[in-house]
Parts: sequence; structure tokens; C-alpha cells
Amino acid sequence: MIEEILDKDMMIFDLKSNDKLSVLKELIKPLAAKDAIDDEDKFLDVVLKREEEYSTGIGMGVAIPHGKSSLVKKASLVFGKSKEGIDYNSMDGKPAHLFFLIAAPENSDNIHLKILAKLSRSLMHEEVREELNKAETYEDVVNAFKKYE
Amino acid sequence: MKKIVAVTACPTGIAHTYMAAENLEMAGKELNVAIKVETQGSIGAENQLTENDIKEADAVIIAAATKVDKSRFEGKPILEVPVEEAIKNPKDLIERALKMEKPKDYIDKVEKIHEERASQRTGAYKHLMTGVSYMIPFVVAGGISIALSFLWGYKAFQVQGTLPAALMQIGSGAAFALMVPILSGFLAYSIADRPGLVPGMVGGMLAVSTGAGFLGGIISGFLAGYTVYYLKKTIKLPKTMEGLMPVLILPVLSTLIVGLLMIYVVGTPMKTIMTGLTNWLKGMGSTNAVIFGALLGLMMAFDMGGPVNKTAYTFATGLLASNVFMPMAAVMAAGMTPPLGLALATVLFRNRFTQEEREAGKAAWVLGASFITEGAIPFAAADPFRVIPSIMVGSAVTGALSMLFHIELRAPHGGIFVIPIAISNPLLYIVAILIGMVVTALMIGLLKKKIS
Repeated sequence: MIEEILDKDMMIFDLKSNDKLSVLKELIKPLAAKDAIDDEDKFLDVVLKREEEYSTGIGMGVAIPHGKSSLVKKASLVFGKSKEGIDYNSMDGKPAHLFFLIAAPENSDNIHLKILAKLSRSLMHEEVREELNKAETYEDVVNAFKKYE
Repeated sequence: MKKIVAVTACPTGIAHTYMAAENLEMAGKELNVAIKVETQGSIGAENQLTENDIKEADAVIIAAATKVDKSRFEGKPILEVPVEEAIKNPKDLIERALKMEKPKDYIDKVEKIHEERASQRTGAYKHLMTGVSYMIPFVVAGGISIALSFLWGYKAFQVQGTLPAALMQIGSGAAFALMVPILSGFLAYSIADRPGLVPGMVGGMLAVSTGAGFLGGIISGFLAGYTVYYLKKTIKLPKTMEGLMPVLILPVLSTLIVGLLMIYVVGTPMKTIMTGLTNWLKGMGSTNAVIFGALLGLMMAFDMGGPVNKTAYTFATGLLASNVFMPMAAVMAAGMTPPLGLALATVLFRNRFTQEEREAGKAAWVLGASFITEGAIPFAAADPFRVIPSIMVGSAVTGALSMLFHIELRAPHGGIFVIPIAISNPLLYIVAILIGMVVTALMIGLLKKKIS
């Protein structure tokens, strides 16, 4: 199921950034490269605006920045991993290792939203997070989520 | 197993809504609490809570960063937190929500129904009930004073200068004399506010002096209220003279209009009706008395404090002003029987009731004994077609017996507490109530099915 929304070219297994703003920029890059969004900078604003409400660093080493906007042409997901962890202003104050940047179009169809909902739910399970932390390849990530599909 | 219902929602409705839901569900499993979570995300509401879910829930958790409609959770303990809270500390939330759970006190519930009904009253019925509610305490004070004077014997008050004579003067001469004017005055007050009081009370006094009784007082109250209401609307004075309106023009004009109508138009026909009614009630033979008592009983139990019940009650209370005391006794007994009969049924037929209802039964003893018919409502609401006929029959029997025994009651309220002082034959009165109770309880036992 997650395969439908996760693209091999939208995965960064070795994030270079070490602060919140730059990691967001780094995660948005592949979206622009694959023409999933219209305007990189404007989409960054959308995501940052969402962060202002409260951090999407949900703790447990996970962050799920997201933006819903007409700039988004295709519902997409960017997966990112950081070994060292990035200070993301998370709810538990701990650095984030796993990143899921979600881009949703204004009128996205429900199938994609349902996948994202499912994905969000899966992330709450420790086993899934452990698998993701070990993941080195696209298949590893997909298999991690398979556990809770 | 405890049960919780929850709603999660977040601004974009893509991620947090679902993470919070998942965490609450996981925590519920861990704590052995049944939990159902409705997600209000961008897909729309999923896993929607049904009316039944909410009914069964011990507590509600709303974890949302957006506004969530709470009206459907009315009466439940609600814990409201930001959505992140449910992601961070779901277990803590569930524990907190369950601690909030204070089993809704049965007496509170009845009180609430009482208030709700009062606030839902509209129009003429509302005005009449306002008048009646102001009148009742006067009748209670007067009735008890009169009853106290009888402690020295029924005719003791006839001896001038004695305490019984003083008590009779207080009760009958003053408090009862104010009954109809107060009823009429506050009925008008409900319609037209303060300016309604003067013509209303004067009209009420005239109803008494012309012999039009409480029925005349009801008419004068409405007359006064609407007269003032229309006078206020039609009379337009220059700004400089507006101050004269409330102190001179409204009171004089409205009082003259109402007073003259009462004397020349309403008084005589109402007097005829009241005299006829009073004589019929006082001279009623046994058969008629039983039928009349049963009718009052049916009315008292039918809607348990609703308009039909209040009609019978108002009628009996108003008759006290005309020295007719038997219907009052029948009405109070028949109003006490429903909660008492149900309470008895929860003891005799335990397996027909849920644990909760059996608990409620204990409170119903108190409510019934205090003449709060509304105490039967929670039972009736749960199973109307079995409970309402049972209490109606029980109350009809009690009402009929009370009339048959010629029992008089001089106070319009007080339940068991006024029986020793204000009831002419306490022992037979209690017998009448007990028989009605047993009839109701047996019918419940017969009609209601065992709970498996």
C-alpha cells in the first residue's frame, strides 16, 4: 500500500542537514525534482506555517512535516533518515531521526489521504519505528510498514 | 469494562489526527479500557461514534487542535486536550478521563429534567406556571398554619383570642387570601413584566371578592398581562412625559380596564361556574368521587410533571382557595405513587432492572416520598410503554381511594412530611398510597421482561 505513494527517488537515507529549516529544504528538493510541487520556496512557507501551529516533531525520534496546498500537484511522501538526529523542536525535546514529509494537494483524492492516515497510525508502533531506524533500502522501508498494514 | 469515546482532529487533518487515534487505541488496549476513536481528518469523519457508543461511554476525550462540536456529548464528563497530548501521553489521558467520571447522580438528573421542562415552557402555559410557582409557597405556608390550628381540635379556632384562632387567621385570613391575587399578579408579570403586577393583583382580588375564585384569577391574570402589553405598545408619549408611563398611566388605565371587566363581564359567569364546581365537588357521591379521583391520578402519572400533570395539580391547588380540599389530597397521593411504586418494583423484581436502575430505585424512594413525580421519568424514558401504563394505573387507584376515603389535604406540597399535620386521615391516606404502589410494582413485574 505504501508503495503507491512512496517513490524510490524520494528517499534520503543519509540526511546532511543539522537544523530544522535546512532539513525541511533538503526534504522538499526531491519533490521539486520530480515535479510533484509547483514552487519550492512557496511550499516551504506552507510547511513552515503548519509548524508554527505546533511542531510536527511528534517525539519518539519521528517528525512528519506536512503541507496541504494547491501548489502540490500530486500527493507525495518524502522519506528521510538522519543517523545523528536533528534538533527538530520535538514534543519530547529529543532529536528526530526519521522524517516523513507529506505533500497533499488541496483536493487530494481520498485514497492517498487514507494511505497517509494509515502511515501515521503505523508510526505509532515501536516495532515499525525500530525497523525504519534499521532500514537501508526502499524495500526495508516498505517492509517495515507491511507489519501494520 | 470501562468505555471511552474519543474524537481526534488537527488543522490539516492528515497526520496528527490519526497518530493520536492510534495511540489512544493502543493505550486503551493496554489499560483494558474499551475505546472508540472518531477521526475528523481531511477525509472526513471516520469510525463515527454512534448515539449508542456515546450513551455507553463513561467519559469522552476530545484531542483536537480545531473546534469539535460537543453538543452530542452533553451530560458526559469531557476531557478536552490539544491533539499532541494524545500522541504524547495517551495512557495518562485515559486515566484522567476516567477519574473525571462521576456517576451522574440520579437526583441531579431528575432536577435537570425539571429545569429543562421549565425552560421549554412557552406561551400561555409558561405564564400560568409562573403564576402558579409564585402562588405555591403562599399555599404551603397558609395550609400548614391552618393544619396546625387543628392540633387543638377541628373547631378550636372558633374561640377568639386563642392560638388556634391566630393560626387560622394567618393561614386562612391572610396567606390563603393572597393566593389568587398572587397567582393573577405574577401570571400578568410573566406576560408584561413589572407593570403587569398591579392590574394582575387587583384583578385577582376582584376574582376573590366576586366569587370567581381561582379560575377567575387565571382569567384576570391573562387579562391584565395582555392589557398592559398592548397599552405599552399603543400609547406613545412625548419624551418629556415618558416618566409618567410606569407610575401613572399604565397602572391606572390597566387597573381600570381589568377591574371593570372583572366586575361587569367576567365575575358573574365565573362565579356561577365556580359555585357549581365547588358544590359538585363537595357533594359528590362515592361513584363520582372514585371516577374523579382516578382521573386525577391518571393525569398525575401520565407525563410525570408535564403539562397534563400540572393541569391536575393547578386545578387542585386552586380549589384550596374555595375550601375544597379533597382533590388536593388525591393529587398529591397520586403524584407520590409513581416513583414509590417503581422503587418498590426494583426491590421486588430485581431481575427486571439493570444495576443502574436498581441504584436509581433507592433515590426514587426519596423523590416519591417528597412528592416529586419527575422521579419516575428516568424509568419511564427507558421503557415508556411498560412503565407509563403501570404508574398510571397505580396512581388512578391511589387517587380513587383517596377520594373514596374523603381525605382532605390543606397544603399543596410536602409529600410524606405534611401527612401527619395537613392530612385529615393520615392512616387511610398512607393505605391509599401503599395500595397504588403495590399495584404499580406488580404491573411492572408483570409487563417488564427479565434482563438476561
